Amino acid sequence: MTPAVSVNGLSSGYGSVAVLHEVDFTVGHEIFAVLGANGAGKTTLLTTLAGLLPALSGSIAYHGTDVTNLAASESARLGVGYVPQEAAVFPDLSVLENLTVGGMIGTRPHEERLDEVFETFPDLRGKLHLRAGNLSGGESRMVACGRALMQDPTVLLLDEPTAGLSPLYLELFFEKVAEIHRTRGVSIVLTEQNATQALGIADRVMVLSLGVGSEPMAADAVTTELLREGYQI
Amino acid sequence: MNLDWLDAFLIFGAFKVVEIMGLGLLVHLQLGLTRVANFGVVGFWGVGLYAFGVAHLKIDWPFGDPYQFLVCAAIATIVAAAAGLVVGWLISDLDDDGTLVGTLGFATIVVILATTQQGLTGGALGLGGLGFPYDFSRVKTHEFTWLLITAAVVALIFAYAWRVHRTPHGRLLIAVGANEALARSLGKSATAARLRMMMVTSGAMGLLGAMHGVMVRSLEINSLDVSVTLAALAALILGGTARVFGAVVGVLLTVALFDIVIQFYLPIPDGWNTQALPVAREAVFGAAIVLMLIFRPQGLLGQMRRPALMRRLHGDW
Repeated sequence: MTPAVSVNGLSSGYGSVAVLHEVDFTVGHEIFAVLGANGAGKTTLLTTLAGLLPALSGSIAYHGTDVTNLAASESARLGVGYVPQEAAVFPDLSVLENLTVGGMIGTRPHEERLDEVFETFPDLRGKLHLRAGNLSGGESRMVACGRALMQDPTVLLLDEPTAGLSPLYLELFFEKVAEIHRTRGVSIVLTEQNATQALGIADRVMVLSLGVGSEPMAADAVTTELLREGYQI
Repeated sequence: MNLDWLDAFLIFGAFKVVEIMGLGLLVHLQLGLTRVANFGVVGFWGVGLYAFGVAHLKIDWPFGDPYQFLVCAAIATIVAAAAGLVVGWLISDLDDDGTLVGTLGFATIVVILATTQQGLTGGALGLGGLGFPYDFSRVKTHEFTWLLITAAVVALIFAYAWRVHRTPHGRLLIAVGANEALARSLGKSATAARLRMMMVTSGAMGLLGAMHGVMVRSLEINSLDVSVTLAALAALILGGTARVFGAVVGVLLTVALFDIVIQFYLPIPDGWNTQALPVAREAVFGAAIVLMLIFRPQGLLGQMRRPALMRRLHGDW
């Protein structure tokens, strides 16, 4: 079966400076967590996968279609939803508008897609007309995630979705990520610093250290030593 | 139509108010929604003015007005829209500072071309011979009618801006303005949305330039002055860049105040109208921009009211 995401020898960075060095992995119908400390290259990896940062070398394919250096808008049309770590909502738009701009592609009726988002994030139903810029961190993440789901993605890229969230939201959010994968059949690539929680929901894991990826492995096979090595602690 | 009660200069003052209001509404779409800091408004307006004038005066059309006006105004709109498309493409990867300098540079190029291409434009001497596309026998009736037609065009621009706020295209423009990288991941081309907006708004600026040419009946190089850009920007920043009514309120508090209220209804000494007042006007507009950006950058009307708009459109849904 063709993997949802295939990354081969991917190097990426800013200008000619490579931050990510020849990373290889594939993602099937699963939750794939990329763990690593600050500065490991997690955001660079996801930004490159989303098509917002050009690859210096290597290749990226979604469901067998090569998308290396394809524009982000084209990747989105191929079914890639992206939730960045920071500035994940459009602050001037209301919550409803943030969700509907996510639904600009695809053919299913907006109402149907919105209902599904509200099933996953019922709290959003009561905040539809609030300005997204006035939401709390946790609410903003829900809106960002909901907006990506409005795109009917087959692959969801989540960049540290729980960064800066309170413990209450943190647990809730990991539950939601697992639910999205389970109920919608979406392949998820998730970057996290919080290894304990991420390992709780991930099927497989890759540890990223200074831009170099470890061999992907089953989440339950990850050892404390490997994490220490990866996090350089 | 008996217009004896109406001062001819008052018609010109009102025309200026309406014209700057139109430009302010178009700048609202560029700056308020899409965050394109266009400091070359006079360039796009001037391209329309000169394209209209040159097409009208230098081409031997086989038909007269009003068709000649309509064709030449269409040419002006298309040329200005094309300029907007090219400039928009050139500045698409620039940051705010680059956009500001790039658009200012474009306006400078337009002035240089209008000055140096004497065979076409008349250069510093200008070209006369433009006229109204109708004949009512009295000049004041011509001018008043043209004021009403221009006001109708500006009302259409207002309706367009009002509509844009309520469309998916408008939401995309706001998204592009707020966070272009994130907007690109929505599956729509942010560059295409921005270029489309630049093309439409620049074309409309060109049309207003053509309408100005008809009102003043000549091409004058002095009209391509930074004061056009300054007036539109000062009004919009004062009223509120993010609100459709920002340009309307701002123009009433700036251009209308100076070009109608002070000029016609305050007992100012003779001679001030031609010398001191225009200088004071520019100084006050400049100061208004600086003070508003320091103390109330969102303008008098404040931020966009998207939640209120959504509640109105969708109720409790």
